[in-house]
Parts: sequence; structure tokens; C-alpha cells
Amino acid sequence: MSTVEANKDCTQARAALEEYLHKELCAEDAADVRAHLDTCEECSAEHHVGETLTSALQGACKDRAPEELRERLLASLRAAKAQHD
Amino acid sequence: MPTMTLEAPRSTLDSPAMTSEQDESGQVDASAAAAARRDDFAEQAMQYADQLYAAAMRMTRNPADAADLVQETLLKAYAAYGSFKPGTNLRAWLYRIQTNTYINTYRKQQRRPFEAPLDDMEEWQIGDAESFTSTSSRSAEAEAIHRMPSGIVKDALQQVPVDFRMAVYWVDVEGLSYAETAEVMETPTGTVMSRLHRGRKLLRGLLADYAREQGIEVPESTEKGKKP
Repeated sequence: MSTVEANKDCTQARAALEEYLHKELCAEDAADVRAHLDTCEECSAEHHVGETLTSALQGACKDRAPEELRERLLASLRAAKAQHD
Repeated sequence: MPTMTLEAPRSTLDSPAMTSEQDESGQVDASAAAAARRDDFAEQAMQYADQLYAAAMRMTRNPADAADLVQETLLKAYAAYGSFKPGTNLRAWLYRIQTNTYINTYRKQQRRPFEAPLDDMEEWQIGDAESFTSTSSRSAEAEAIHRMPSGIVKDALQQVPVDFRMAVYWVDVEGLSYAETAEVMETPTGTVMSRLHRGRKLLRGLLADYAREQGIEVPESTEKGKKP
């Protein structure tokens, strides 16, 4: 494969990488990206950064509703229901 | 067919539950059904209390406003529950109400004047993550992000302008599809994609800055402009 063709593959893969990461590509396009990642170390490294970013975000955003908020929510829903009934 | 054998016991199982909603003539009492549906709302919606709170924290960035926002969201959703189509995505429906409530209440109040409107974001502020050119620097970047304390990642996300931040939150953290996110944000899917892209880029820039401050070797991106 010529360098020009390789660069074209990289450009196409990079443009689709975010959609690939988020499983938004159709099966055929996803297969093309996957095939490219298998052969291209740089694009594969770029994809790995993307995956790492997503999992870091998932690990960082685990807020839980405080117990007093839960009680407040249930109380306000009960009050709204009482108005309805 | 297994369906046939399942049908008979099902109607028997349903009967005891039905009696509470039937009056003496055997008619389903409409107000009782409506009340049951409202009871059902509290049960259904409270399952998402943590997720609504987490999303509210991303939007408002402080626990007091986040708690108020969740409460307001649930009360609005309760009042509008009649318009919710059973079987569709309750979580996304709640998120859409929450997003609207946030925009109408919090953003209009201009309580956060220091939060720059999104469209004022210039490309130089976004930076360009693509400029980490070599494989080895990308590996260093991935390693740095992987080791980043979660508090730092959360703070970085909170610095991203709210529309970009929420696109990243819905898709990357909540796992909503682009189409679902478009519904929640009431924007075209293309807008979701561009917000997501810019949000993630900005986040990468912020995390790389942090890593460098910690003395971790993440090469300075060449295309990222210096702040004037």
C-alpha cells in the first residue's frame, strides 16, 4: 500500500473514530474501521485514548442522590399526589 | 406454542390485582386507575434518582442547585406523566424535562454569569487533540488519563461549557445513543455530534494540561493556541 493510500485510510478512520467508539456506525462501516485499527498502530493508539477517556469519565461521574434528597423527593411527590386526589 | 400455556395462568394471576380497581358493578374505576398510574410514577421515577442527581450535578455544578433541579424535574414529570407513552424510554423523557427545566430556570436566571455561552468558544480554546502526533505520545496520554484521579476528571468535565459537557455526559457516561441525546437536548443529531466532539477535545486538552503540571510527559500540542 502506498503512503498516500495509507494516509487516506487514516483520515477516513479518524473521521469515524468517535462514532465507532460510541457504536453509532453501521456494521459495515464499523468493520472497516476495525480492520484499519488492526493494521495501524497510530490510529489504534488514538482509539485507545478515546476509550480511556470514556472509562475515566464513567469512573468520575458516580454521584449518588443523598438520602435526605430521596426523602424530600418522595415527600414532594406524595404532596403532589394529595393535591391530585 | 408456549404462548397458549402461558395465557391461562396469567389471567388468573391478574384477577386479584384487578379487584382493587373495580367498583361493585365490575367497572374499572377511572380515578383509581389514574391514581395507580401516579403511584407507579413515583416508583418508576425514583429508580432514576441517582442518575437524575448526577446529571443535575453536571448541569448546576453544586449540590444545593442540583437537589432543587431534581425535585423540580420530578414534579414537572409527575404533572406531565399523562403525556408519557408507556413502553418508551422513561429515562430519556425525564432527562429531557430536566434539561428544559435547567435551561428555563437556571440558565435564564443568569446565576452563573462567569459561564461563557457556548457559541463564544473559539477554536483556540478548544485546542486540537489530533496534534498528539506520535504513537508513543498517544500511549503516554492514555496512560496519564488512566491514572488521573477521578476528582480531577470530574473537575475538568465541570470546566467544559455546559452544552458540550452534557453531550459528553449523556453519551459517554449515561450511554445514550446520539439519537436519544438529540431528543434529550432537543437538537439535531449533527449538533450532538459536534458538541460531543468539541467537548471531548476540550477535555483532553484540560487533562493533558493537568498531566503536564504533574510533571507527566504529555507533549504540548503544537496546534493549540496560547491564551492571549
